[in-house]
Amino acid sequence: MAESKPPEVQEMRDAFGQALVELGKQYPKIIVLDADLNTSSKAVYFKKAFPDRFIQVGIAEQNLFGIAAGFALTGFIPFPSTFAAFVSRRALDQIAISICYPNLNVKIPGSYVGLPTSRAGASHNCIEDITIMRALPNMRVADPGDNNDLRAIMRTAMETEGPVYFRVTRLTLDSIFPPDHRFEWGKGVIVRAGRDVSLFATGMMTSLCLKAASLLEQEGLEAEVVHLASIKPIDRDLIAESAARTGCAVTAENGTIIGGFGSAVAETLGELQPVPVRRIGVCDRWVDSGGIDELFTLHRMQPADIALAAKEAIAAKRVRHPQSL
Amino acid sequence: MNSHLSAEKRSFLAEQAYQIRRLALEMICYSQWGHVGGSFSMADLLSVFYFHELRLDPLHPRWEGRDRLLLSKAHGSPGLYAALALRGYFPIEQVYSYCELGGLLEGHTDMKRTPGLECSGGPLGMGLSVAVGIALALRIKEEPRARVYCLLGDGECNEGNIWEAAMSAAHYQLDNLIAIVDYNKVMAKGLVSQMMRIEPFSAKWTSFGWEVLEVDGHDLDAVASGLHQARWIKPHGAPIVIIAHTVKGKGVEMAEFNYKWHTHAPDPLTADQMLRELARNYGFPEQGYSRIDSPVKKETFYGGE
Repeated sequence: MAESKPPEVQEMRDAFGQALVELGKQYPKIIVLDADLNTSSKAVYFKKAFPDRFIQVGIAEQNLFGIAAGFALTGFIPFPSTFAAFVSRRALDQIAISICYPNLNVKIPGSYVGLPTSRAGASHNCIEDITIMRALPNMRVADPGDNNDLRAIMRTAMETEGPVYFRVTRLTLDSIFPPDHRFEWGKGVIVRAGRDVSLFATGMMTSLCLKAASLLEQEGLEAEVVHLASIKPIDRDLIAESAARTGCAVTAENGTIIGGFGSAVAETLGELQPVPVRRIGVCDRWVDSGGIDELFTLHRMQPADIALAAKEAIAAKRVRHPQSL
Repeated sequence: MNSHLSAEKRSFLAEQAYQIRRLALEMICYSQWGHVGGSFSMADLLSVFYFHELRLDPLHPRWEGRDRLLLSKAHGSPGLYAALALRGYFPIEQVYSYCELGGLLEGHTDMKRTPGLECSGGPLGMGLSVAVGIALALRIKEEPRARVYCLLGDGECNEGNIWEAAMSAAHYQLDNLIAIVDYNKVMAKGLVSQMMRIEPFSAKWTSFGWEVLEVDGHDLDAVASGLHQARWIKPHGAPIVIIAHTVKGKGVEMAEFNYKWHTHAPDPLTADQMLRELARNYGFPEQGYSRIDSPVKKETFYGGE
């Protein structure tokens, strides 16, 4: 059973379901709402633990978020749970005006994000949620790098007043952070230090950037890997400081590069520390059905692609600043 | 239906309904923006709600045991703001801050800004879901006396979200939830029956599992009786909808049943005439537009200093 797996080989969605149960014990005000996906999202763990605090709304995502707003208005802390694709596309108006505009205390997990979703195709492989959610005033956005990061994000979300959107991948990720890892809004973490290029990553792409850094190391290049789980607010100081030291940057996200995490980093660099930037992510394409590894190769998001982008960024730095050769 | 209103109460409610229309038109003319038709059509409903039916305390707007009224048709905000001001949620003078930068009253409802609002709104079709959430939450909190009311427009019942909410309210047997439809037959650009028909309307709600009442939305006794039934007599495991038949723009002839007055701000002279007609129609001393000497606001963009 998934529930009995040790944490280090646990799918993130299982970690999510279990973390919900743990938070449910601590916070009696948590209500979990579901739109007929609880065994996929793993909100089912909460349903089993707290049946009286689990609300099934059927296949009706607009209603899901409206009802969540109603619970928040009555002092509860709702977790309306569905796939990221339906959060960001189907129910955007409800999230914007019923939840974000009045700054309601709703915690929104987006399940099945990006490429590693299943073979479901473009309708379910959600790539635009970061872009959309970060555009909403009052909304905070986070994408965890591993299960401990996810748990820390969920704990911090409970201590944060106002709406939060956080991503939950279906994949089993490499463990990066210790169990007592703490997450802070607007704070990034340097997970590997380096001086030649900054690899700014969020979510599962931090693992891939660490692998890319190992590839670069074999070629004598020292890449710094900066994990930015907090996409909004984003750690502008750390981004500028790292880029000032390395002189160039690559961003990596499990989603579209248009308006998403890479854009957020590039905006920061453009304003505070202009350096050459390359962005890894989905480039204005739909993500069709396919194997996970195939999709990462197709969309040039593998560690080797990140390493290549890093070398391009490093080369661009030398062209722009010949004196630094 | 038996009347629950004394003659004194009826005349008091009639005066509040008149004042709601009056203040709504004052603020729409002063700001040169807003929705006359939908504010006027629900003015009598708002009067009975805020001065007869709702259990609330303007000094403690967030009292947990209160009744909640959510305005799903949030463009009717001038009517609601007028009712809230008259009920004492904020000084009446504040109605002139409607749509002003930094004012108390947004064009569409912002619950963080205006005391007495139970939700924020603007996009249509969203309020009933929020009301369902509140009704479910109140059940969990064991607040059996509190009722959740959601004031819907007829045109917004074109929205699919309304019917998602309706389905879930019946599924959860929310008899602490009462929807009231301001069925004024007119939407923004035409008649409901021509733009997108909602009939057979009562049968739709019935088939979704709701208890349905129909009232004349301008008959104060009928509205009061309907709300009395909804609170005390009808609750037995199903949500209740009161279809209130109304006239869009009710109170001033040129605005009645006229989609051209859905969103339209009168110039001060027209507003003055409309307010005088309103006073005559409702039997109050003739009173014109109070700020007729104020310069008319015009949308201007100077591009800064």
